[in-house]
Formats: sequence, C-alpha cells, structure tokens
Amino acid sequence: MPIDVDWCEYDVVVVGSGGAGSHAAQAAAATGARVLVVSKDPIGCSDTKISEGIATVRESGSNDDSEETLSENLKMAGGDLPVNAITDAFAADSKDAYDAYRMQGLRPDIDAERDTPKPLPLPMGGHTRRRSVGHRNSGVAFGHANWNAVVQGDSIDYLEDSWFLDLVTEESDHGAKTVAGGLIYHAALGKLIAVKTSSVVIACGGLSTLYFPKTDTMRGNTGDSYAIAARAGADLVDMEQVQFLPFCLASPPSYEGLLVGEPVTASYLGVLRDRNGKVILDGVFLRTRAECSSAIMRAVEDGRGSPNGGAYLDMTANKRPPRSGPYFMRFLESALPSAYKVARQAMSKAAANCEEPWEVRPSAHYMMGGIRADEHGAAVAGDGDGSAERGLTGLFTAGQAMGGVFGANRLGSTSLTEGAVFGRRAGAAAAALARRSQSRKIREDLFRPLIEATRARFGQKGDCAAAGLKLELQKAAWIDIGPVRTADRIAEMERVLSDLEAKLERVVIPEYAEWNQAFIEFEELRNLIASARAVSVASRERDGSLGGHVRLDGKQISPFSQPYSTVVTQNAARDWQVRRVERDRTPLKQILSFKYQDMKRKAQVKWLRMLPAGMQDRALEKKYLAVMGAGGAAEEVMPGGTNAAVGEATQA
Amino acid sequence: MKVEIVTRRGGEEAVVEYDYVRRDENEKPMILDVLLQAQATEMPDLAFRYGCRARNCGVCTVDINGRPRIACRARIKEGDRISPMATLPALSDLVVRRDGVARQMRGRLATAGQGNDLNVEAPDDYHALTGCIECYACLHECPMHARNFGGGLPEDQTPENRPDPAEGYRYGNPFSLLKLQRIRIDPLTSEAGKAAALNNAIDLGLDACVGCKGCKCGVGIDLMGKVVRPMLEAASDRLDSKI
Repeated sequence: MPIDVDWCEYDVVVVGSGGAGSHAAQAAAATGARVLVVSKDPIGCSDTKISEGIATVRESGSNDDSEETLSENLKMAGGDLPVNAITDAFAADSKDAYDAYRMQGLRPDIDAERDTPKPLPLPMGGHTRRRSVGHRNSGVAFGHANWNAVVQGDSIDYLEDSWFLDLVTEESDHGAKTVAGGLIYHAALGKLIAVKTSSVVIACGGLSTLYFPKTDTMRGNTGDSYAIAARAGADLVDMEQVQFLPFCLASPPSYEGLLVGEPVTASYLGVLRDRNGKVILDGVFLRTRAECSSAIMRAVEDGRGSPNGGAYLDMTANKRPPRSGPYFMRFLESALPSAYKVARQAMSKAAANCEEPWEVRPSAHYMMGGIRADEHGAAVAGDGDGSAERGLTGLFTAGQAMGGVFGANRLGSTSLTEGAVFGRRAGAAAAALARRSQSRKIREDLFRPLIEATRARFGQKGDCAAAGLKLELQKAAWIDIGPVRTADRIAEMERVLSDLEAKLERVVIPEYAEWNQAFIEFEELRNLIASARAVSVASRERDGSLGGHVRLDGKQISPFSQPYSTVVTQNAARDWQVRRVERDRTPLKQILSFKYQDMKRKAQVKWLRMLPAGMQDRALEKKYLAVMGAGGAAEEVMPGGTNAAVGEATQA
Repeated sequence: MKVEIVTRRGGEEAVVEYDYVRRDENEKPMILDVLLQAQATEMPDLAFRYGCRARNCGVCTVDINGRPRIACRARIKEGDRISPMATLPALSDLVVRRDGVARQMRGRLATAGQGNDLNVEAPDDYHALTGCIECYACLHECPMHARNFGGGLPEDQTPENRPDPAEGYRYGNPFSLLKLQRIRIDPLTSEAGKAAALNNAIDLGLDACVGCKGCKCGVGIDLMGKVVRPMLEAASDRLDSKI
C-alpha cells in the first residue's frame, strides 16, 4: 500500500529549529502569520545547542566599537567575499538579535560597570574589539531559548522527526519560478505531508557530516539546505568555502573530530609545532581559524604532520611561569568550558594541564557559503550581489544555510548571532510575502510528480545500502575536497560522485512507512551527494588558496587582487554549473591600515616571547590582571561533575 | 566484544547479537561506537538517534541493561544489552517517540516582557538548570510520568490505550518541572508568571513527587534539591491533603 499523504496549508514554513529557524518562526509569527516549523531532529537540537555558546554582541566590551568596525572585521576576514549589505545588516542587528535570545531566557553574566553582557577577556581571532560574550553551559543555554520559542507555540505549529524532502515550485509563462510548498516525510507518523505555502525559510544547517568523523558538529548536517535549494533551481554561493576548525582531536576514536580549543585559547605564548618540534605558526591567539588550519595541513602534506595527521598545539610556555601560569589555566578553563572539558576527558592528565603539547587536527565545522540571498534572506540571482526579483520567489534562508555573510573565513562567535540576525530578517520578509500572496490558490496537481516519485522510493529494489555508500563518500570528501585540494583531487571527487549517483538508484528501501531508516539514509545521502557536487564545482573554479582551504597546485590569492565569489546552480537538465561574480574590494588604504594594525599586534607578542623568563612572567601577569581582574575569570557552573553523570557511569 | 541490540520493525521485536571489533586493543568503546560500527557493517538500516557525540545534544539516550545511558559518553562492556528507552513509545529499533514530553509544555512557558531591563544577573541555580540537555534519562522510574501509562510503561499498554504523544502527555516529569522551576527563579519573571509556573507544576501532577525517593539526572543536575523540593515547599499548603 502506498504511503499516505496528509495536506495542510501555512503562511510560512520554516525548515529547521535551531538558532536561525526558531528566530525566523518567532519573527514571522509576531506579524500574525501562521507558521509551521519542520525539524528532523528534536526541537532545538541543532549546532546552536552544541556550540561553545559564544555570541558576538556589538559594543559589549568597549565604547569604541561600532557598526562600521564590526562590518569591516567580517568583510576583511572573509577576503572581501561577503556582501556589503549583509555584513552591514549583521553589524546593525547584532544587539537586538542577541536580546531576542534573552527574551527567551538566555542569561549572560553582566559587566555591572558597563551595564552590558560580559565579553571574553580577549578579542577572538580577527575581531579588533572585545565583543564575544560567553555563556554558562555553553550552547545548551541557547538551545533552551530556541526550544522555548518554538514549543511555547504563540501561533507556531511544529513537527519533529520530520524530513523536509523538497520544495514544490510553480513556473509562470515567462519562466519565473515561485514557491508553492513542499513535501515532508513525517517518520514518527509514517506519512507524507504536503504543505501548501508561498514562503519557505530554509534554515536547516550545513554539510559537515560530509566529512564525518572529522567534524565537531551535529550528525544532521547532511547538506539538506543546499540540496533542497539547488534542486529547486536556486543559486548557491561560495560553496568551496568550508570552514575547518584548527584545534580538534585526532584520537582517541570516540572523540575523533571534537573541538578542544580556538586560536584565542592558545593565549599569549601558544604556538603550533610540527612533528620535529619546529614552530610552524606563532602568535596563534591573534590568528584566524583559517590561518591555523592551513599551517597544520601544509605541515601534514609536507610529511611533517603528527601520527594521526595533525600537528601540535604547544601551550606549555603559558603554563610554566609561576605567577602568570595559574591565570592562563583559569583563562583556558573559562573561555571555552565545553571544549576544555572534552580535552580533559580525552587526553592525558599532563596534556590537559598543558604540561605537554596537544595533538590537534582540523575538523569541518561550518559551511560559509550557502544559498545566495540578500540581507533579508531572500534568494537572489543575477550579476554582482544579485537581486531578489530574479531569484526564486518565496525562498528565504538564514543561518548556516545562507551564503554571503562570511565569505572565506568566519570569525569566532559570529554564527550564533548570524542565526538570530538573519532568522529574524528572513522570518519577517517571508511573512510579508505571505501577506501579499493571501489570495493565491495553490493547485494540488503541482505536488503530484514529487509525491509519486517519493512514494515509488518505498519498496525500491537494489543491491546497495545507503549507509555504506555514505562512508565511501565521507572518506573521499576529506581527501579530495577537504582542507587540502588540487585539481586532480577535485576531478577524482567528481568521479566518485558520478559513481555514487548511479548507485543511489540501486539502494534497497523496504516498503514500511513508520520510521523507515533506509529511506531516511537514502534522502540524506542524496543531499550529501548534491552538496558535495556544489563544493566540487566551486572548488574547481576557485583556482588558488583562499580562506577555508589550501590549494596545493595554486597560489595564495592576494587581498589586493579583484575579489570574486563562485556561484553554483543546477540547471533543468540536472547539470551543475559554476560562474564568478565580482565583489567590491575594500579600499586599498583600509586594507593597508588593517594589515598594519594586525602586524603591530603580532609583533608585540613576538617581543613578549623574547623577554627573559622573570620579566615575561610579570608582563603576562599584568596582562591577565588587566583583562580578567584580580579574581580571575568567573568560576564556571557546569551541570554536574563528570562522576555524577549517567553517561560516564557504566557500572550501574 | 559481544553485545545485544534490540531491534524492532513493524512492532516485531528481535534481539541481535553483535560482535564489536575494537579499533585498538585498549579501546573501551562508548555505546555509540558500537551502534555506528554495526550500521557500517552488518546492520545498514539500524535505526538510532545521535547528534553531537559530546554529551551536549541529548538525543542519543538508550537503555543499557534496562537503565538509561547517554550513548555517546557511556562505555559499554561485554554482554550488555542495548534497547530503546523504556519510558517512551518505541518507533523503530532504538528510536523512541519523544515529542509527547515537549508538547505538554505548550502554553506553559514564558517569554520576558517588552521593556524589561535584560542586563540582570540570574542566580547560580538558574544556570544549574539550563545545563539540562533534554536527554530524558530522568523519566526512568518517575511515578509522575508513569501515570501517563496507567502507572507503568508505554509498552505495558495496548497500542489503543496509549496516550497520543501529538496531544502532549497529561502528566509531567522531572524535565517539565525543571522548565517550570527555571521560570520561577528567573529574575525577569513577573509574580503572576511565577504563580502560573507553580500552578502548571501542580496541574502536571506535582503531588506524585510527595514521598518519592527521587529522580536521577543524565548530566548530574541535583533535580531533587534544585527542582522538586523547592516546588513541593512552595506548594505545600496546596498538596497537604495528599501527603
């Protein structure tokens, strides 16, 4: 018997229930729209919930911060790939978006003197101001806020255990496409749900599962956002720009890929070393994530990597001095509590105490490219920054799904803010479109081809298992379109993808409707393959090293050259196409002044490293005192000791 | 290393013995390591939930020998039996239906009012409660939650007699009480909001906590000390008749 189909109609459908999705739903509902949130994982169980819980809040650390400074930081870090209007929107909304989290229960520590949320003692790499606000219980505290907003349900309905499979679109006589709805697989009910709507906000995260287990993100990041948008004909932008976090674990196996530190936690004296102990990067705490990842991967490719394909983060010089050492340890424990907790559990005691270097390897963390959109999250197409008039009408996006915000490098603490900023904007824009479309009658026959094709998958015969094919894909993706790439490797990836695409049609799927894991694996694999296609063709077009990855067969792309972004589309014949769009270059004077300031700060640390031990210790103590205060960092409140945890105690 | 995995398709339960191959001789695998390897080898469509692998997302909880464990951070040993959490209705293999718990909280939560000064410090206990990862380990042996199933477990009931999770369960549990207590100690909650939170706790069956020996949290939050007892104290005059 074919799987049942239920029908429903909403003003706005939001796919995803993390930071971006929950804010989009709230913003749309606040205008009176009827909203449906569709989530494959339980509500709020997203990358936001498992993040380090650090958010960018403009002006939280100093009065000399401004919208212009923040926007410029994002754009410079991103190699001029970010869209001006988008980074400006981020900077303008960052405080209000953060307050939206607080309305739902997020409670930071407060700097009583400044009457602001209290930022970390040091600016995170690439930020020129202190404005990264950490939270007790890290991302879990944000997870509560997102959950609160969706579950409370002020004119928001939601479905969990529900996979949004594809968009349904309608084409006008002159070829313009408009969203008409989508098809959902509700695994818990064992039903398909066809939803009619004029506005869909895609906010269902990234594609890091492509690199599993070399990733520190949620399993659900199977590229759904990009694959769904591309299949509907939308543009994707900067898809070669996958962010790899430099300081993640390479072993033991149960911890592989998990985050243990950020450039900033390396503090004043942390350096990266290769297998022979040679320093491959100094001043680590002032570096961007991309600089650190690239230094590690170049050493690995050169045969100087650590046993598990990484390098060594050496923070022993911070720990050793008698006066400043204890401050450093408190800084390390408090700046990224959950990452440090992972380090303590996974590594030896000596390493956790920073008496030995840490073996670290980059992990896929974030897709900086994504659905090409404007500053309201509306899908765009056309030259330059594109226009919503030419894009797929009714498609909106926010969070990791959205491109154009970060370009070639995303600064630490920006993604939590991004989710809320563009979630709110996309939700409001989606609701406004829904109001304009109120009289529209959406025809059921538009849905029929997709419904029939999906029904036919249940009971598909063959000789392949999607779970096995996924492992093949993940292995190839790390080698061929991971942190290190060459034209040959990208070509090899495309060969693997063609092979997998053929095998997809031979995946065995049983007929039963309720929680059909084989069907779920099939759908997620299909999305992973489509996303890998987008990354591959974009990487082919990007012929030098920039940001997130190293091109061994190309030069470093200079910040003084004309910046461009890659735009990827899937045409009606299902072929993947790529082209370039030009971006504005930051004025020369501004780049030079930024570079000068950057070099100055790095030189200051170099000087610090040269001081005799006693003087160095006192200088550092003074620095820590200045940023942390005499009491040091606030003591961290964790939900309970590891001994108390059910997860840890197996001898029950 | 041999372990047992309880599987379920179309309501039919089976026990599969799986032989885990250690990745190095000293490996003490987590439960999740076993499930991932089983799926990669002999059981390609084995259904189980997982997310972050770092005990943060709360979705991978399963029962080991009848007790809830967070699969990504609990080690497994020879002969252990992995089964779905018994406190929620089983869907497929190790996947249970979770949404009846969250749905009971619809309309019972709070949002800070416009115009509040958001720059206020919350008490330490507030942060202790926001450490909850929603793993639902606390449902184990909870008499309040068991009321949803006539005092037992979902699988003790015939499918027709089980409550519909889509409606939200009638009776609460330590997790829902934690959410309400969080509202009560939030400095931005109005007096009316605090009273409503307590009323909701009573409505969800707080009286079941009277005389209960206590609940255990999956991530070590002191549920009795920070959630249940403060609520019982605040509601004592209204629960007297039942003590």
